[in-house]
Amino acid sequence: MSLDSRWYEADTRFIPGHYQPATLIDLALSRDIDSHRLLRGTGLFYDDIVGGNTRLSPQQFFGLIANAQRLLGADDSSFLFGQRLLPGHYGPASHALQQAQNLHQALETVIHHRALLSPLLTPRLLLDERYAYVYWLDSCGAQEQLRFVQEASMTALKSMSQWLSGERLPWECSFSYPEPRYVEQYWVHLGENTQFGGQLDLMRLPREYLTRPWPNTSAIARQVAHQQAQSQLHELGFSASLLDRLYVHLRDQAQRAPGLEEVAQHFAMSQATLKRKLNKHGTHFQAQQDQARKHVALYLYQIKGFSNEAVAEYLNFNDPANFRRALKRWTGCTPNLIRKFMTL
Amino acid sequence: MTWLNILKHHRWKLGLLVLAANIGVLLNLAFGTPKAFHEWQWLDIIGEGGTALFVLLWLVLVLKSRPTGRVTNYLSIGLCCIFFSWWMDVLDEFIRLPKHLGWNHWLESGPMPVGMVLLTIGLYHWHREQQAINQQMEKRERIFREHRLFDKLTPLGGADYLKRQVSDCMAQSLEQQQPLSLLALDIDDFASLNQHYGHAEGDAVLQALSQLLLLNLRRHDLLCRLAGDRFVVLLPNTGESQARLLALELQQAVQSLAHKTRQHGERVYLSASTAVVMAFNEAPDELLKRLNLALARAKPVRSKRA
Repeated sequence: MSLDSRWYEADTRFIPGHYQPATLIDLALSRDIDSHRLLRGTGLFYDDIVGGNTRLSPQQFFGLIANAQRLLGADDSSFLFGQRLLPGHYGPASHALQQAQNLHQALETVIHHRALLSPLLTPRLLLDERYAYVYWLDSCGAQEQLRFVQEASMTALKSMSQWLSGERLPWECSFSYPEPRYVEQYWVHLGENTQFGGQLDLMRLPREYLTRPWPNTSAIARQVAHQQAQSQLHELGFSASLLDRLYVHLRDQAQRAPGLEEVAQHFAMSQATLKRKLNKHGTHFQAQQDQARKHVALYLYQIKGFSNEAVAEYLNFNDPANFRRALKRWTGCTPNLIRKFMTL
Repeated sequence: MTWLNILKHHRWKLGLLVLAANIGVLLNLAFGTPKAFHEWQWLDIIGEGGTALFVLLWLVLVLKSRPTGRVTNYLSIGLCCIFFSWWMDVLDEFIRLPKHLGWNHWLESGPMPVGMVLLTIGLYHWHREQQAINQQMEKRERIFREHRLFDKLTPLGGADYLKRQVSDCMAQSLEQQQPLSLLALDIDDFASLNQHYGHAEGDAVLQALSQLLLLNLRRHDLLCRLAGDRFVVLLPNTGESQARLLALELQQAVQSLAHKTRQHGERVYLSASTAVVMAFNEAPDELLKRLNLALARAKPVRSKRA
């Protein structure tokens, strides 16, 4: 079977315990937290993780995150965790990241090997004339832990790119949730220009930074590490999560907006199975459908500079009133507001 | 302190308490006769037994939270006596003693006043001790204390503590017509220090820095850790030019700190950026935001270690 026809789910045990989870465990232990209490309820054992044989499911990782968050009891846990995440020590994928010639290659590596480098949150890259945008999507239904994972992932990408490039990069971050109480953590770890209450969880940076050469890298070493990471993915048998695959499918089919039955068929399962799987990830079909169509609409507005009528037509809305209603449901804004918002 | 440590340090007191409580039970059993179930007075049992249990809980909390020493001894022995008194009181709810005995009244009421006196002496000394500690907390705490707002890494208040203090101080400075300034200090390139020497070393640097900054401040200033490697100093009765001078002094102090790594004793070279703002008539959140934006402008663009 090819990599594209398979996926991982919230209960697939594939995240090596000594990869990202160990980073979190080390952080907690450095703050004098008892390893038994940290692993309580996750079904994991410290000695097994140290032994290097444990594989965690995303669900178990979320349990670990919840415990760490509670025991650390500090607002900076996710940011400190993020600072330690990338390039990481996750085998050849980390080597490939370390040898990236520039930011563009680094982003491609993180995105391509996301099952190894960022299994909980899916990064996606978009470009327009001025900016490069990286937006992040929930891979496995993080629910209460989503914010922690988002904070950590964005911090990870920012600090990795600054470390490897050796310069301060003008990343600007924007989160979809309202400004939290501990906003100063965002200022210090993600920059003073962090915005809240946006449409996406995204970070952007002027495009010219993508191609600036990074110091001390080797193209050959990167190539080899990339191939090795690729074969690691083949061993796993997948490179993306079910939600990730579903998102891509729904986004590509956004014009037609296929129903549950058709999509289930595409993924070679029954409607009931797809429903059950989505339920397991704390979501449902309509929410995924709406998210994909919303993202397409935003993409057309922002990157393609489409007018309201053109977006409505692309998404096959015959009636402007219907389109307004749909957009309002997806984003909470009217079409004109959205356009104003995006030009900020 | 762990439970094992508590047992080790207080084994005599705790051993004596257990022994005395047991002797009390044995004496009661030897001289008295057990009461029948229907004679039990539930209200008394709950009232007296409950009090004894609470006193025991206080004893545990005192032993667990305090370092050993004179004050702890007063408090714990006082609580032991009080517990013993209540314990004897509970026992005679279950065992009837002959009327002519005299010692049982002594065992019941004797330890109570002794315990009360010891506990009072202990509390008085605790008060004196707390005053001494308050003096040590100078520049880290102003008037108001809330342990849940302490920073987890450095011995300073965190961002929430700072926010509370900023709004208090702003009201105060408005009332007294005195200027209020805020100073932010951020270590340059702290991330690469973490990458170079490890995060544990980064934590050690932050702890060392918090002590260093305290030494360079005036008595009425307040130092807090905002987040990460960013510190904020609250400067009451201070205008902008004076605050700038202080900022410069802090910057120089950081530069001349010769921190040595714990593993190899290597010298770590540090430098800091600072920013100063004076409070206007604005919301505390706005003031902090303005301070941080000023700091962002003061940061060097390119890192030096690259």
